[in-house]
Amino acid sequence: MLMKHTAFTNARAPHPISEIEFCGWVGQAVPGDRLEYHRGFLVLDAFPVISKLADPDRKRLALLGTRAFWAAEASLVHLVQERIGPDHFAYIAIARPKPKAAAVSLSALLLAEQQAA
Amino acid sequence: MQPPISRHHLACILAEADVAAHRLHRRLCGPAADLDDLRQDLLIDLICRLPAFDASRGSIGAFAGIVLRNQASRIALKHHRDRCSRVGALVSLDAPFGPGATDTLGETLSQSDGLATWHGQDGDEFARTDLRRDLSRVLGQLAPAARIFCAALGQCALRDLVARGVGSRSALYRRTSELRLDLTARGLGPAWDGFPAA
Repeated sequence: MLMKHTAFTNARAPHPISEIEFCGWVGQAVPGDRLEYHRGFLVLDAFPVISKLADPDRKRLALLGTRAFWAAEASLVHLVQERIGPDHFAYIAIARPKPKAAAVSLSALLLAEQQAA
Repeated sequence: MQPPISRHHLACILAEADVAAHRLHRRLCGPAADLDDLRQDLLIDLICRLPAFDASRGSIGAFAGIVLRNQASRIALKHHRDRCSRVGALVSLDAPFGPGATDTLGETLSQSDGLATWHGQDGDEFARTDLRRDLSRVLGQLAPAARIFCAALGQCALRDLVARGVGSRSALYRRTSELRLDLTARGLGPAWDGFPAA
């Protein structure tokens, strides 16, 4: 019996990514695709006093971390860490199959909203 | 010397020439300025042939009608030949596309090649159907509150929702921002390939 191998796509952003870029990757990724969205120590890097990052970058990272957690809660990605060295990790999101849900008709929704208004 | 033409005959000839010129002008689909030229050409030919009119064989109107019809056909043929030599053969949507083809030109054109698309109207029915299905799928995945908010935004602007007392302005903008991220993560929004980070 032949084993079926799936080619997973690994991506590492050339520069720090934002929330919307992360969401764009989640929306486009096929199951098994991996994205390294941060490298370092996320909790410390996003913490106001300890972080060595500039304030805008720190806030962006905090939002990104929250968004990645939200995506994992929404069953869109798995979140894993790879240890690079002492206190140094690669934070990786792995795309999951899109959750199945019953489709909702946009027209019906708009009609209901119109009646409610 | 030919007897002078009567007023009645002259009026009849002019009226027939007018009708024939309008008919020919419509057939050729030419510019409005061509109408007078066509009328002139038809009248000159008719006047040249007037000596052949025999009142015992029919009325002046019938004679003029036949002469004008023949001359209009000759002008139309000449016009058609000129047009073919200048811009090639005329194309019809109902004509077969290419020699030996059974499909007409109209059947080989897609909606995106249509006149409506040239004028900026999206005529791609398949893309529209795909978008509708994507919307239905994503709406099904949203939380009920987000779904209702999404439908409300589809009906009215944010300031109208504020006026209706749905929430404060800042809270609604925050929810819109959340909704945008949510929709993007589910495939409706800017894609990763479009970002500089990709």
